[in-house]
Amino acid sequence: MRHLPVRQLLVIGVAAVVLALLPFQLSGYHQTLAARVALYFVAILGLNILTGYSGQISIGHGAFMAIGGYTTVLLSIHQDLNLILTLPVSFAVAFAAGILVGIPALRFSGVYLALATFALAVSVPQFPLKFSTFLGGSNGLRTTVTPSYLWLYGVSWACAAASFVLAWLLLRGRIGRAFRAIRDSEVAAASSGVALPIYKTLAFGVSAAYAGVAGSLLVLVTNGYAQPGLFGILVSLQILIGAAVAGLGSLRGVLVGALFIALLPTVAADVPVIGSTHGQDVVFGLIVILVMILLPNGFVGLLSGLERWFKTAIKSDPKTS
Amino acid sequence: MLGLAKRKTSVTTGGSLPVVALLAAVCVFLAIGCAVSSIFAQQTVAGLAQGAIYGSLALALVLIYRATEVINFAQGEMAMATTYVAYQLTIWGLTFWLAFFVTLLIAFAFGVIVQVVFIRPVQHSVIAVVIVTIGLFILIDGLVTWKWGGELRFMAAPFGNNVYRLGSVTLSRQDIGVLLVSILSVIILWALFKFTKIGLGMRAAALRPAAASLVGVRVNWMLALGWGLAAVLGAVAGMMTEPSTFLQPTMMQPILLYAFAAAVLGGLESPAGAAIGGVLIGVFMNLIGQYVDFATAELRLPIAFAVLLVVLLVKPNGLFGRRQVRRV
Amino acid sequence: MGMKGKLLAIVAGVSIVAGISVTVASGAKQADPGISATEIKIGGTFPLTGVASLYKTIPAAEKAYFDYVNDHGGVNGRKINFTILDDAYDPSKTVPLAQQLVEKDGVFAVFGSLGTAPTLATWGYLNSRKVPQALVATGDSYWGFSYKKYPWTIGWQPDYPGESKLYGKYIAANRPNAKIGVLYQNDAYGKNYFAGLRVGLGPEKGKIVDAQSFDATSPSVTQQILSMKSKGADTLVVFGTPTPTITALVTATKVGWNPTATFINNVSANRIFLLAAAAGGANVDGIISSVYTKSSTTQANLAGVKLAKSIVDQYVPSLAASFARGDGNIIYGMGVAWTFVYALQNAGKNPTRASLMKALHNMNTSKNPFVYPGITIKTSPTDNFPIEQERMVKWAGGASGDWQPFGKLLSGVR
Repeated sequence: MRHLPVRQLLVIGVAAVVLALLPFQLSGYHQTLAARVALYFVAILGLNILTGYSGQISIGHGAFMAIGGYTTVLLSIHQDLNLILTLPVSFAVAFAAGILVGIPALRFSGVYLALATFALAVSVPQFPLKFSTFLGGSNGLRTTVTPSYLWLYGVSWACAAASFVLAWLLLRGRIGRAFRAIRDSEVAAASSGVALPIYKTLAFGVSAAYAGVAGSLLVLVTNGYAQPGLFGILVSLQILIGAAVAGLGSLRGVLVGALFIALLPTVAADVPVIGSTHGQDVVFGLIVILVMILLPNGFVGLLSGLERWFKTAIKSDPKTS
Repeated sequence: MLGLAKRKTSVTTGGSLPVVALLAAVCVFLAIGCAVSSIFAQQTVAGLAQGAIYGSLALALVLIYRATEVINFAQGEMAMATTYVAYQLTIWGLTFWLAFFVTLLIAFAFGVIVQVVFIRPVQHSVIAVVIVTIGLFILIDGLVTWKWGGELRFMAAPFGNNVYRLGSVTLSRQDIGVLLVSILSVIILWALFKFTKIGLGMRAAALRPAAASLVGVRVNWMLALGWGLAAVLGAVAGMMTEPSTFLQPTMMQPILLYAFAAAVLGGLESPAGAAIGGVLIGVFMNLIGQYVDFATAELRLPIAFAVLLVVLLVKPNGLFGRRQVRRV
Repeated sequence: MGMKGKLLAIVAGVSIVAGISVTVASGAKQADPGISATEIKIGGTFPLTGVASLYKTIPAAEKAYFDYVNDHGGVNGRKINFTILDDAYDPSKTVPLAQQLVEKDGVFAVFGSLGTAPTLATWGYLNSRKVPQALVATGDSYWGFSYKKYPWTIGWQPDYPGESKLYGKYIAANRPNAKIGVLYQNDAYGKNYFAGLRVGLGPEKGKIVDAQSFDATSPSVTQQILSMKSKGADTLVVFGTPTPTITALVTATKVGWNPTATFINNVSANRIFLLAAAAGGANVDGIISSVYTKSSTTQANLAGVKLAKSIVDQYVPSLAASFARGDGNIIYGMGVAWTFVYALQNAGKNPTRASLMKALHNMNTSKNPFVYPGITIKTSPTDNFPIEQERMVKWAGGASGDWQPFGKLLSGVR
């Protein structure tokens, strides 16, 4: 990839300004909502690296989020660590966990990998229940300090920006090419010299690290509470759905995926007739299905489709031909 | 139990000698345990009945996997929804068994419709299908809760509440009934695949879709049929489990999880494996819970999944699966 | 950075400075939100869907009671506007919903929120914002004990450990040779109950021959029941939410074990559940539990139950069938709602959040028509447990029977 063209720089610049100004126009409630969008952004980005770029399905990222979230809380309680400093630790711990999982995962692919990661996602939240003295049991553990809304907003969006930059750097170079080669055809990639185990495990590690940070942010957004109920299988499913809606294999749609996951439940609850109580699930499920059927490549696919249509529309304009 | 295991291996394509020997050893171990300790026997019997339910749902999963190479994450919710339909039928005046059979028909149609409407448009992409089934999970859960509410409901007991004593072991009519129904489903399914033209068509469509369509097999219809049958199996599992879990929208969720482990243990391609895997998991979980102190309630699911992971690592095709050759 | 980049940075910087100054300048002192001359706005989070949705009759009953009060002049002329939000018993949903109630909807108080984990996830937030978290629907004892640290939170029902202490004391006094098997849910709910039982048993703790935990999501408890049977237990104590409790009762019979005495916690002692257990084959006669609200079936001629019935018939007729079958959640809901109105009436002509909490911490009334006859709702600055009395009940009449009280009203549960 060459350096970014001016147009993309401008888009990013405008986005940055909007993000910086937004919190002052929003109420506290909306600030936390925006923080949620940011943390899902990070998680979806991570999953995209694993599934969209290196082709390994994971329905288990909730487990890594749990690891990151509990790391933050435990550090806060036992080491009295500044909350921001717990984030890099969370990143590192989750990265290690991802590598640990990625190594045996080398033997699985497709549906089997999905099942194995699913197993992980269901099992990990049970451990705080088992080791309840250390991990708080069903009531969970709480950080010693509860951050303010503005803090949450700022930190989560800073993480989102940092993770986006990191992902972009990672994916533009040799590593990104290796990932894409693996996704398209493992055998071809291996036969052209790509060391599969290293890159596949690396993909797992990085994506788990992202999920870990997202998990820490989720805990902080939930008033500093880490509870097993926060990291159930639903979270893993939501992130997968978000990544698919965003469009796997490209960084462009991740924000849309994050907005979808974070805001749809709130929006779905307002749908008349079936809204409020059970309507949320019905609307959410329906939309997920429809999006997958109509837009199999997610938002990115929609964008590319629009761009192509736009370009052909210009080309067929007699004035420009 | 011993005889049943041996008979199945001559039918399945995947059963190999070490696996049969292993199963035989397990049967012997269980038999000895039952003879020695009555609590062992009781836990085993209870595990058999519970495992039969896991096996039924695992059978549904395997059926779909064999036909379409996808895991249907919504299998449990489909089973749950059809059980609610049966409940509604009994409310409208049908007896349990009449409602049972009518529900099977409805479940079949339901499965076919789901495949045609939701799965067929996306069946080219594994990830898309996974996500659609997840979306179905959420959608069906929401619809059932919307229509019937989340509170507990109760159906009439299908087999009555009598219990029988065999020595110091108590067996309830419900448990016996569940076991019989599950065994019956396996046998009917096996017969379907082995002896009927439709079964042959389904197997052909799963293995070699291109070649099958050349000889006149309507592949798409076979896939839909597979989903219909799987939905029927799910309905059976749901109606058999209702007396224990009662009717609530979450009733099949833990069972689905154990069914995953059972299906993988038995081999995702093997119906017999699914049934046997289910029973093994049921008995294993009970015995582990009884004799291993560390294995408390919180660890039950992780243990079942540890089994799943170990199987995936050591013998990914499960006990009865065939080795897969991946085309380059 | 090119020219464009520098320009963007300057614009961003200026905007940030402007934004900060605007925010700082806009801070102003406001009166308590959610209360006007005509209306008091309250809201709560409840599991209307999901695993705990069988409790959704509680907020429906509460709303019905508030509607009744509104039709009779409201509280000092103000109508109560009650918003019910669904958190599906999931703390990650409870937190944003609580924030929504406080910041978007501007409620005066958060009322009746259900569930220990959801309440724990939000009590720090609500207390730091000084928003009343009134009469939460959970019997864990945290709310009663932590009033110094969390002065804006208060519970209502008798706490779980206090209740199970009663069972322990009863067994120690009346069944000297009991061999107890305890089946408890493996979360804080079940563990706290178990702890209370041991306190009640006192030196007789050794009577517990087997204690088995179960996961609330597991489909069967057969293995645990069998284990207890094999250890020779003749007394079964079940501390769980309704579904596993019914399952346990049915399973006990199915495996041919008939304990001489069975105790279940009152959350699961709703008549509807016992009927279901009986239909599933359980031997329900003789099961012991406790109550603190009136029964809509055995006490139908008491004034409070008649009032409840008339409110149900008029305001929420969809619950009438359930009420007739003895669904205790409905009277529970009305009991809590009555208490809230009582506190509001004692919070002054123009209540503030602080005066509401003061009223809640200084309650003393035996006039609640919905609680069991003789129960006084009492709190003080050092006693944050509104109800501390219970009556023990025993089931009689088999598959169409009901709870029959025995002994006397027990005080000092805590």
